[in-house]
Amino acid sequence: MTENVPATGGCQCGAVRYAITTPFENPHICHCRMCQKAFGNYFAALVGTRKTGLVWTRGTPGIFRSSCIVSRGFCRDCGTPLSIADDDSERIAVSIGSLDHPETVMPAKQYGTEARLPAFERLHTLPGIRTEDDVPAELMAKYRSLQHPDRD
Amino acid sequence: MCQKAFGSFGAALVCVDARRFQWTRGTPAIFRSSPIVSRGFCARCGTPMFMREDGDDNYEIAIGTLDDPSAVPKMTEQTGVESKLPWFDNMLTLPMQRTEAYRSSEELARLKSLQHPDHDTEHWP
Repeated sequence: MTENVPATGGCQCGAVRYAITTPFENPHICHCRMCQKAFGNYFAALVGTRKTGLVWTRGTPGIFRSSCIVSRGFCRDCGTPLSIADDDSERIAVSIGSLDHPETVMPAKQYGTEARLPAFERLHTLPGIRTEDDVPAELMAKYRSLQHPDRD
Repeated sequence: MCQKAFGSFGAALVCVDARRFQWTRGTPAIFRSSPIVSRGFCARCGTPMFMREDGDDNYEIAIGTLDDPSAVPKMTEQTGVESKLPWFDNMLTLPMQRTEAYRSSEELARLKSLQHPDHDTEHWP
């Protein structure tokens, strides 16, 4: 997946930004209960790279030690979950949704499936609604994004 | 916006009546992601916790933050599908591994969770 580097990303508010200069490795989703809680979600979507290849280009993440050997990085100003790394690993994973182009990374594996939630199996079957069909046109301006754009 | 805020495929949310909801320990930090939307998160660990439109009677709670996320009634719809990621529809088909299959027993012992348990506590940590 070397065609995807360099890649950039960051949090929703833009206080923390990063660049990745080493190849993506092991794109995956993780259902473990700790990823569920940390991401407030059914699972986490993550892609790895070498720690030496990840540069924080604006700000630095807050760190929460979710277990004795794992650090999770997040934005202190908006909460976006950004990274996860084992202390003794040469690798770090970033959250796929925090990438400026999350569509370029295709997860290839599911981890932590002992905690996979029953609802996961139906997610892709739910009826879909586009935002412009969901929100009246006259209200769209109020919903306009105040988030950092998907680029440096 | 939910992709970036949750660092993921999107958000999984369930509506609850704000009058029947209370913060029982601490209060979330807030980021205003659009002129009428507040997003709440934990300033100490980042966990995204809720979304709420100004004046809305409901909180939209992040399902993964519930102590028992499996207790949420069946999901009914996907919104914002214009931004749906290409891999979303195939997630179910990806090869699966349980945690104990890729963590050594030594690692599992050191992996001891420092996360709050899935029930209220008198004191923490």
